[in-house]
Amino acid sequence: MLFNIGFRALPWCAASGALALAARTIALGRGWSVEAASFAAALTVGAAVQLLQSRIGVSGNALDVAGCIPMIPGGFATKAILGLFTVMAPNAANDTLGTAVGNALHVAFTIGALGTGLAIPTLLLRVRGMK
Amino acid sequence: MLALEYGRLLMEAGAGARSVEEITARVAVGLGAEHMDLRVGYASLAITIHIGSDGITRMRRVGPLGVNQSLDHALRAAAGRIERGGFTVTEARAELDRLVRASPLHPDWVVAVAVGVACAAFGRLLGVDWAGVGPIFVAAALGQIIRRQLALRNVNVFISATVLAFLGSTLSGFGARWAGSQTVATDMTVAVLLLVPGVPSLNAQNDILEGRPTLGSARAVWVAVILVFITAGVWLAQGLLGEGR
Repeated sequence: MLFNIGFRALPWCAASGALALAARTIALGRGWSVEAASFAAALTVGAAVQLLQSRIGVSGNALDVAGCIPMIPGGFATKAILGLFTVMAPNAANDTLGTAVGNALHVAFTIGALGTGLAIPTLLLRVRGMK
Repeated sequence: MLALEYGRLLMEAGAGARSVEEITARVAVGLGAEHMDLRVGYASLAITIHIGSDGITRMRRVGPLGVNQSLDHALRAAAGRIERGGFTVTEARAELDRLVRASPLHPDWVVAVAVGVACAAFGRLLGVDWAGVGPIFVAAALGQIIRRQLALRNVNVFISATVLAFLGSTLSGFGARWAGSQTVATDMTVAVLLLVPGVPSLNAQNDILEGRPTLGSARAVWVAVILVFITAGVWLAQGLLGEGR
């Protein structure tokens, strides 16, 4: 809704998001890291969208985005920056910088994993014509 | 210039550089160009149209980048029709004007409710207790309404981010406390997740992977600065409520 996706496409966006979350949950359940699980989820969504978009008749870009946006680590990003804000505070704990940097790396690697996971199927299976 | 207009609108609707280049090429070729070259910058597009041994270069400023999938989809469909031929420049321009005028938008209240539901759902995924869900929903929905009003008044997007993050965090924090939530600090963070620039961050990476590191880097820097401004708002709210310190 926030991205002004049409009503007809919304159920497919929900399905895309559910597929991504299911894939990530399964991967996390097998002990994968958040980054690896996010990569697997994005890869799954990207492949499914590329293979089905011509039959669904919905923009592949919209489905990719809708599926992966919930996995963007906004919470980690906020914690990372908040941690950096408090590093210079007089009563900052010794491990504040380490925690903040760790959260920042989580963010960078997770976003990298999502983008890479979506890009691989798109580059390999790109469908000519209207996306 | 008309092909450039299609490209500009597509870029402002949140498309990546590859899509902008494809669609601009389709329109240009459909209207008679033999070949075109396009430079996609963060704030401008420059096109060179080749017909025979002649060429002409034009540049067009790109406005603030947003996300509008309905317009994106409509522009791609129109570009496909133009590429197949049968359009004059006048007809193609009329089609563009019609698309922009007729591009449907969801009602603001519907979007606000959907955003509230989404943030509340994110909260549950991130471990927020049920008492925090209601305050998150209300804070996020109100935040979306205020965000829309600030955008209509052309308030600087970074200032908006801080203001909205502060208001959203404060509202959800007070609401969570009143509701007896045990996850107030998380509630305050989750209520502002509607501001996180997910699409630009994915586009930034796509642009770099597709051989446009300058554009991708510009988007990535914008994303990073927005996150800093969002966090500043959350930090102020946490200071006000004495949370997370």
